[in-house]
Amino acid sequence: MFNFFKKKQDNAFYLGAPVKGKAVDLKEVNDPTFSTGMLGQGVAIIPSEGKIYAPADGEIAMVFDTLHAVSMTADNGVEILVHIGLDTVELKGKGFEGHVKAGDKVKKGDLLLTVDLDAVKEAGYDTITPMLVCNTDDYAAVEGIFGKDVMPKDDVVSIKMK
Amino acid sequence: MKSFEYTVKDELGIHARPAGMLAKEAKKYESKITITKEGKTVDVTKLMMLMSLAVKCGQTVEIQVEGSDEEVAFEGMKAFFEANL
Repeated sequence: MFNFFKKKQDNAFYLGAPVKGKAVDLKEVNDPTFSTGMLGQGVAIIPSEGKIYAPADGEIAMVFDTLHAVSMTADNGVEILVHIGLDTVELKGKGFEGHVKAGDKVKKGDLLLTVDLDAVKEAGYDTITPMLVCNTDDYAAVEGIFGKDVMPKDDVVSIKMK
Repeated sequence: MKSFEYTVKDELGIHARPAGMLAKEAKKYESKITITKEGKTVDVTKLMMLMSLAVKCGQTVEIQVEGSDEEVAFEGMKAFFEANL
């Protein structure tokens, strides 16, 4: 059924990096909400550019009205949350600009949000950007691919179907 | 089935962290736990649906608990909302 998404080997589906930067282990995120996998497994990117792109083809589920996070459902049902920075909900949208809304169909690599990374840093927040699979339990394995610099759309999470 | 209403006091509403905590808490119980806002009902353990409800400060939600351990789940959820939201 998922042959369409077959890529490289086995039955894995890959999420693309949502932002240019360095991919790191989710465990390195200085916030237990993310590092313990409470919101799902995935990866984190230390962004070097403030442009957030769609990690897969799918539909936008929600853009937080504070614009610091966006969730989407990939065409094959993978539920993805991209959360820009830590505790950035407190910025209430300052420094963030949204380019999509709930219900929008997007293609992998489409621009979703823009963030002024310097403004977020100056406000005292960590800009590390976790990307999580919210329905991790629906899959055999969800693993981050990290320890390297990435460009948007580069493979950073592998998802193995049950 | 047991239910209660709760008006969210947390200034930031149910954003990513509280949604994660709430889903995790709800998974401790056998009972099916749902949350309703403005007529829309979602399963509390479905994280993305829960976030999509976008519950904000001052809004009232209804939590419904149904199942074999609903007494303890009801008390657990009530305590969770009062302590965290």
